[in-house]
Amino acid sequence: MQCYRCGAELTASDYCPSCGTNVRIQKRLQSLSARCYNEGLEKARVRNMTGAVESLRQSLKLDKNNIDARNLLGLVYYETGEVVAALTEWVISKNLQPEDNDADRYVEQVRSDVARFETENQTLKKFNVALRYCRQNALDLAVIQLKKVLQMNPGYVRAHLLLSLLYLNDKKPVKARTEANRALALDTGSILGARYLKEAEELLMPGEAEASESKRKEAIRYQSGNEDIIQPTIPMGLRRGGVFAGLLAGALLGIAIALYLILPARIQSMNTTNQQEIAAISEENDAKNARLLESEQREATLALEIDDLKAEIDELIQAGNRSTTADLLMSAVTAYLNVPEEDTAETQAQRMDQVEAIMNTYDPAATEETPSPQEQSLYNAFIAVVGEELTKRSYDAGYAAYRRKDYETAIPALARAFRYDGERDDALFCLGSAYYESGDTDAAKDTYNRVIQLFPNTKSAESAEAKLAEINNAS
Amino acid sequence: MINFEEELKKFRPSLEVEDAESIITGQDLDDMSDVLVDLIKETREIQDKRPSDHEGR
Repeated sequence: MQCYRCGAELTASDYCPSCGTNVRIQKRLQSLSARCYNEGLEKARVRNMTGAVESLRQSLKLDKNNIDARNLLGLVYYETGEVVAALTEWVISKNLQPEDNDADRYVEQVRSDVARFETENQTLKKFNVALRYCRQNALDLAVIQLKKVLQMNPGYVRAHLLLSLLYLNDKKPVKARTEANRALALDTGSILGARYLKEAEELLMPGEAEASESKRKEAIRYQSGNEDIIQPTIPMGLRRGGVFAGLLAGALLGIAIALYLILPARIQSMNTTNQQEIAAISEENDAKNARLLESEQREATLALEIDDLKAEIDELIQAGNRSTTADLLMSAVTAYLNVPEEDTAETQAQRMDQVEAIMNTYDPAATEETPSPQEQSLYNAFIAVVGEELTKRSYDAGYAAYRRKDYETAIPALARAFRYDGERDDALFCLGSAYYESGDTDAAKDTYNRVIQLFPNTKSAESAEAKLAEINNAS
Repeated sequence: MINFEEELKKFRPSLEVEDAESIITGQDLDDMSDVLVDLIKETREIQDKRPSDHEGR
């Protein structure tokens, strides 16, 4: 401690040892300054920054040379985001005590981190811009600007307070409360922070702010990240006495939930699952049945188509046969009419040979189809012309074959002879005999019966009756 | 209910680095000792004037 008049170092005495000035009041002032510094230090330790600033400023008013108080005031300013105010205090501190001063270290640390210092300076500028926006009533822009400020320096208390005020003005009490709480977390002695918090809670629960305040005090409050966690405290009596009852009630409640909530829900879930599976199987079964029915219908359709095709094929075959017999007849007629320029007996015989050869193969009865009227008409007309000659030729050939016991040749030849000329009872009788001799007694009996029916009272009929009697006797 | 305009007046602009020099030089650093010294000086000046006034009479 130095004398305010001569600067000499003072002793325990109330007078200066150098100039003899009474320094009792000076000592008293310095003692009061130290007391204020201690108060400021205590407040700073519990983060009551507002209170700390107040006490330290008072300390410096009492003794401007209280270096510890000035340095601490700079630290408090720096902690609340007021970097320039902090630097100002530290620079003054250095000027007052150039040697052995902690302010040297503080200033050096701030200057060494140029990027951070520049960021903090920008933060202050942006805050001032936000404040200007507020005064120009551009409140939305101010909010945006303040958010940027807090993004750059979350410890800037005044920015939190101004943002909280803006939220209150915008009727957003939840956000206002959050910002006020953040400000109070940084500065527990902030009167503005406490006011804004109270105002926000009144907006949230009108008339219950005081009650909520008392509850808030009873609750355990802490901050996790950006969230404020409020954990209500439980009375000790309930905590101790109700432990076993609580466990029992919890167990019973669990069983009840399992029986009345979880189990039915589980059963319902299983039923739903089973019903879904049944429905899926049923749908699959229906699909299979539908496919089976479709296959059966297709099979029936195909069978009908096959039948139709078969019928069509038969018709085509029969048409082919008809065309074949008709063609044969036409060929025979053509051969007969194909008269050469010099028609001699020999050429006539040759043409008849051709006609006979063709007509030998002509047998409409073999096709089991009735000839068309045109074909039948042509046949009748042609037989009327060549029938006599063909009958003669067929009968002669048949009889000759019969005589030499060539029944395979005789039977068709004799049948043709009777077909060409239905009056030839001898040809029919000879046909029956050929059947009989060939061993075909049934055909022989039929043929003999026809002779008897068609030509009664004739020699052939008598012979036929005799043959029938012979056959009957033989059997 | 908070009056926004009134509350806004409580917020003053932050000190910027460019203003630091003028703030430092312009700051009133006088403490209670300085006030007392000034007070003593004034008192002595008054006391010094009083004998001359008396002598004049």
